[in-house]
Amino acid sequence: MKSFQIAIATVALCIAGCSPTSDDTSNVTPSGQGESRGTIGVSLLTLQNPFFQVIGDNITVEAAKHNYDVVVLSADDDIVKQGNHVKDFIVQNASAIVLSPCKSDAIGPIIKEANAAGIPVFTVDIPCRLPDVEIVSQIATDNYGGGREAATGMIEAFDGKGGDVAILHFAQAESCQLRVQGFLDGINEHNEKMENKINVVATLEGGGKREIGGKATEDILQSNPNLAGIFAINDPSALGARAALEKAGVADQIVIIGFDGQPEGKQAIKEGKIYADPIQFPAKMGVEIVNAIVANSKGEEVESEILIPTYLYRQADGLKDPELQ
Amino acid sequence: MQLIFKYGTSFFLVLLCIVFSWLTLTPQDAFDASAAQRIANQINQTTEVSPSETTVLIAVRDNEAERSYAALLEKELKAQGIEQITTATTAREGRQLLSQLQAENRALQAVAATQATGSWLLFADLAADYPLHQHAKILVTSSRLWPNFLKYKNVSNVLNQISVIAIIAIGMTFVIIAGGIDLSVGSLIAFCSVITALLIRDYGGGVEASTLWLLIACGVGIGACGVIGAFSGGMVVGLDIPPFIVTLAMMLVASGLAFICSNGYAIPEVPETFTWLGRGAAIKIGMFGGSAIEIPNAVCLTLVLYVIAHIVMSRTVLGRYVYAVGDNRQAAWLSGVPVKRVLMFTYILSGLLAGVGGVVLSSTFRSGEPTFGIMYELYVIAAVVVGGTSLTGGRGTVVGTLIGALLIGVINNGMNLLHVTAYWQKVILGLVILGAVLLDRLARSVPQTSSRMRQQESPNSETNGPNKPASDSATKNA
Repeated sequence: MKSFQIAIATVALCIAGCSPTSDDTSNVTPSGQGESRGTIGVSLLTLQNPFFQVIGDNITVEAAKHNYDVVVLSADDDIVKQGNHVKDFIVQNASAIVLSPCKSDAIGPIIKEANAAGIPVFTVDIPCRLPDVEIVSQIATDNYGGGREAATGMIEAFDGKGGDVAILHFAQAESCQLRVQGFLDGINEHNEKMENKINVVATLEGGGKREIGGKATEDILQSNPNLAGIFAINDPSALGARAALEKAGVADQIVIIGFDGQPEGKQAIKEGKIYADPIQFPAKMGVEIVNAIVANSKGEEVESEILIPTYLYRQADGLKDPELQ
Repeated sequence: MQLIFKYGTSFFLVLLCIVFSWLTLTPQDAFDASAAQRIANQINQTTEVSPSETTVLIAVRDNEAERSYAALLEKELKAQGIEQITTATTAREGRQLLSQLQAENRALQAVAATQATGSWLLFADLAADYPLHQHAKILVTSSRLWPNFLKYKNVSNVLNQISVIAIIAIGMTFVIIAGGIDLSVGSLIAFCSVITALLIRDYGGGVEASTLWLLIACGVGIGACGVIGAFSGGMVVGLDIPPFIVTLAMMLVASGLAFICSNGYAIPEVPETFTWLGRGAAIKIGMFGGSAIEIPNAVCLTLVLYVIAHIVMSRTVLGRYVYAVGDNRQAAWLSGVPVKRVLMFTYILSGLLAGVGGVVLSSTFRSGEPTFGIMYELYVIAAVVVGGTSLTGGRGTVVGTLIGALLIGVINNGMNLLHVTAYWQKVILGLVILGAVLLDRLARSVPQTSSRMRQQESPNSETNGPNKPASDSATKNA
């Protein structure tokens, strides 16, 4: 009989485990003013990255203003899981689907299923550029423009002098290819006008990660003793580069430009460890997605690609940034 | 109560299905002819102008069910003398049509919408944007309550979603019942997927590959996984290395090889026919609510494999041997069971079935990917254990594993439908797995005491398979 009680308790626990969360989501639903306009299903690359967390939170808050329910799911870098998310959104007859695809190409057939159900699809950050897939709008950072801003930051830090610079790349991501292209174009334009040239002497894979970026920087230092600057395509690899420079005792002689503007990156800029970052605005991306969904539902024309410009964040910005107090 | 204990996990599965069905009760659009007739009548009754002057906008989404509903409605309206009908399948199209009507100074009397299109913001601001159309009535199709969870489309989704895990779990059940474990299955999915896609791209002619080539490529991919399984089995049997370590090593090796072969990139250059297994449905049963009921091919494959596995496990000498080896290897060896060959068989089978899972996944996504199958070994082991197989070996059933896989699939799907947030999903999935196992443990504790007592009565009794009632041997010995 005792075992029976335990069994009941287990079942009750599991059901109880479900119910508070469904309350959680109902809090998100609009209070009062007008009936719900349906559900927006959001499946993001991974919620372990704060960047996507901020996008998800902002979609939820902004969409609630227009009486939409929002469900934000994390695909955990697993395309199969993301496929299941989309299928579940279709079954729920969602009003719109927002994705940041785990794989630009493999997500194609999944998006086609949503197309066949007549549900509008929006992508954020990572695009899907297959020809026969219908996407209402792609919202992302202007990575090319951001790369040019990074070049501006580097030129500014060099203050009229020339020198050797290296790039810590993450070549498999389209966004990073654009960043590096923008950076190179910015540097080349500068070199055409100025006497003191800035030379890109090395482009190494930084993996977008601290430890790989650090190791790559050590290797660059071995072959380029006169190095004067490093452009890293995101904050973790920039911080890895900084650690390697400190280890080699040359941290004060070499300028680092990062990208992203995640809290740890901003903190490093404030402390002068990184010179500047072109920062992204994930919150703004979340708001822009909802704007696009609303415009589409109103029957207005929506631009197929919405680029959000970056901002070059320097030490002065870090010192007055309320988030870093 | 006895019954609940006896079928612990199945009971839990049924309970979950009922809970999810209850919680996902949602109004669903009715898209049949009578619904169309009802809307047509309403439009006719509510408008103040004569039918020939009535202008109607039908707003539906661009999918099969709603397009056919729009056609039905148009036919119905024409039968009632209403001729001026336009149809929009997107909000953008709707706005263009409204502007066009405004320009021609033709006032709109009614909008026939579905639940989804009725909530378009286009219609919310209708009076403000188009003063001419301000008297237009927006009529939404009638709806009936039906759980999203029990929609045909959703049931078919769940079955399709679990098919890969369920197929691999068969092999895992064999391995675990024989007293081993196989951690390499997740990586083998990726390995097989990459090998198969690579062969098709580089030797089979890419997107123009013939069906024969597809079969050869799949066969080689699955065979390669079988070879890796055989290698694991060889290490376990021949060198007596713990299976946990051997298969952990093979997990890294297979994953690494998958990335090396593909250079880390996806291989999407495979023909459309390749998706037959993962997305096709060859068997159609009948019609239900306007959509054809069909069994997805992957689900058919899963069922066939389960029937075969069940027969092997419960009706053949080989199955008996697997139980015997897992229950007490020494005793099995002494009674003449070819222990080493049985163990080899389980690891090869596990490898082969992981390969089959890899083929199904690549077929679904029409692409070979080195990143497929991450963490799958854990889901597969969870399905096997939730299904009542003992991790110490010697006990378990293939049918139990199928129920375990279903349980995990149903929980994942139900939570998505209920909008449970991402972080809570992990917590709940973990708790439910724990709860299911606990319930099963309790279920076992009841009959087991009695069987132990009976065994004490006959101390000479040999090791019993789990399916064989203990009383059987007792009577034999008596």
